Amino acid sequence: MNGTPGAPAVSVRGLVKKYPLVRGYRELLAHPFRRRFVTALTGVDLEVGAGRCYCLLGPNGAGKTTLIKILASLVLPDGGEARVAGFDVEREPGKVKESIGLAVGDERSFYWRLTGRQNLMFFAALSDIPSARSRRRVDEILALAGLEEVADLRFNAYSTGKRQMLAFARALLTDPGILFVDEPTRSLDPGAARKIRAFIKKDLVEGHGRAVLWATHNLAEAAEVADDLAIIDKGSIRISGRTSDLTRGGRIPLQEIYDGAVEPEEADGPVPDERRRS
Amino acid sequence: MKAFPGIRSAERRPGLLRKMGAFLHRDLLEAASYKLSFIFSVVGILMSSATFYFISRLIAPGTASLAAYGGDYFSFALIGIAFSGPLGVFQEGLPQVVRSAQVSGTLEALLVTRTPMPIILFGSSLYPLVFALLRTAVQIALAVAVFGMRLGHVNTPAFLVVLILTAVCFVSLGMLSASFLLVYKLGNPVSWFFGSVSGLLGGMLFPVAVLPPWLRGVSFFLPITHALEGLRLSLLSSTTFARVLPSIAALAVFAAVLLPLGFWTFRLAIRKAKRDGTLTHY
Repeated sequence: MNGTPGAPAVSVRGLVKKYPLVRGYRELLAHPFRRRFVTALTGVDLEVGAGRCYCLLGPNGAGKTTLIKILASLVLPDGGEARVAGFDVEREPGKVKESIGLAVGDERSFYWRLTGRQNLMFFAALSDIPSARSRRRVDEILALAGLEEVADLRFNAYSTGKRQMLAFARALLTDPGILFVDEPTRSLDPGAARKIRAFIKKDLVEGHGRAVLWATHNLAEAAEVADDLAIIDKGSIRISGRTSDLTRGGRIPLQEIYDGAVEPEEADGPVPDERRRS
Repeated sequence: MKAFPGIRSAERRPGLLRKMGAFLHRDLLEAASYKLSFIFSVVGILMSSATFYFISRLIAPGTASLAAYGGDYFSFALIGIAFSGPLGVFQEGLPQVVRSAQVSGTLEALLVTRTPMPIILFGSSLYPLVFALLRTAVQIALAVAVFGMRLGHVNTPAFLVVLILTAVCFVSLGMLSASFLLVYKLGNPVSWFFGSVSGLLGGMLFPVAVLPPWLRGVSFFLPITHALEGLRLSLLSSTTFARVLPSIAALAVFAAVLLPLGFWTFRLAIRKAKRDGTLTHY
C-alpha cells in the first residue's frame, strides 16, 4: 500500500536549506576555499493532513519553491526532517515519488512539438502505468481536466490556461494522494485562474480527498482555497494554522495577518549568509 | 486507512523495455516533425563519402601502413568517419541529454516521475544512438554500392564484442562528462580532452603507425585507438578472432576502469547538484 497508515500527508520538522552563493573571479582567487551560503529555509515546521488544502503564502524568495522541491525530492535538505506519506524524502525518494504529483506554473516542462495526448502517454510510461491501462487513464484524465477537444493538438498550440491544465493532468496521471502545486495561476487570466482554483479545491480536495500543498503569493487565492495556511518569509514560517482560526472565522482580513507577519521592505529575496554549511 | 491512493504497485512496473520504447517513440515523433532534417542528413552522408572517395584516389594502393586493413585508404577512412558518429553519441549523448532537458525545462518533470534518473538519461540518448548506428550502416552500404568499398569477410563475433566494449567505454566517458556538466554546467574537461585528441591520435583518418613513436605511446592510452583498430580489423581484413584479441583486451581494461568510475562520479554529481539545488540549472 502507498503511504503509512495514520501518517499525515506531509510532515516537516526543523527543515533547513542553504544554497551556496555563486562567487566571482576576484573572490575565487582571494578565497578559493571559502564558500558563502544563502539561507533559503531555517527551521521550518509544518503538517498537511489528508484531504486538506494547505496554502504556503509568502513573497517572492521566501522559500516556498525550495520547500516544495525538497518535498518532491528534487533538492536535498541540509537539516531537519521531511516526510511525505510517511516516507523520508532523503532516504526514500522513490516511495515519495510514488505518492505525489507535482504541478508547477512552468510551460516549458512539456514537449512542444508533441500533442497533449502524446505528452501524457510518454509521462504515463515513465510513471509506471501499465500499457493496457495508460490509454484509458490518459483519456480519463484529459476528460477530468476538460482537455478532450485539444488532446490531439500540439502543445505549442495550447493557450496558457490549457497548458496549466495539462500540467495538472500530468500530475494526476498516477492518481496520487498528495499534490504539490507551485504558483499554478501565475500568468493566467482571472477566468482561467478561477477555473484552476475550482478544479483543485472542489474536484481534487473536496471531491477526491486529495491533500494539496499550494504555494502562492496571491492573498485572495489563499483566502479562497486554504483550509490551512502558513505564512513564510525569509525561510521561516511566521504564522500557521487553520484559516478559519487565523482569520477568526473571516472577521480579520488575511491582508492584515500577512502584513503583520512579513517584512515588506526586505521581502524581495533571501539574505546571504556568511556562515559555512553545518 | 487509505490515506494516499495511487495506482497500486502490483499493477505497475511496465518494465525497462517499454520505457525505452517510450523514449524512442517520443524522439521519433519530435524528429518526424522536422521534415527537412532527415533529407539533409542523407545528403550529408553522400557528400562526406564522396569527399573521402576522391581523396583516396590520390593515395596509391598498397601503402604499407594500410596493409593490415586491406590496403585501401577509402575503406580505412570510411570506417573511421562512419563510426565517429556512434562513438560521439556514446560519449556525448548523456551530457547532451542532460543539457537539453535542463535548457528545455523538461528535466524537473522527468525527475519527479517514478523512473530513476540513470534510466531517464540512457533512454533519452537511445534515439540519437540508434539513428547514429543506422547512419553508419547506411554510410557503409552506400560506400560499398556506390564507391566500391571493399569489406573483407566480416568477423561478426569479433565486431560485436568490439562494438559492445567500445559502447561501454564511451558511455562511461559520457557519464564522467555528464557529471562535470551537472556540477559545473559548462566547461567539460572530459569532452575537451577526448574530443580534441581523439581525431588526431586515435587513428580516425590515418593509421597510428604513421605517428612518431612518442605520440603512438599517447594514442595507446585512448580507447578510440583500440576501438577503431578492432572495428577495422573485424570489418576489413578477413581476420581471425585471435588477431582482434589485443584490441578487445585493451577495451576490456578501459571498460573495467571507466565503468565503475563513471557510475561513481555520476552518482556523486547528482547528489551534489541536488544538495546545491542546481540539478535543473544550466
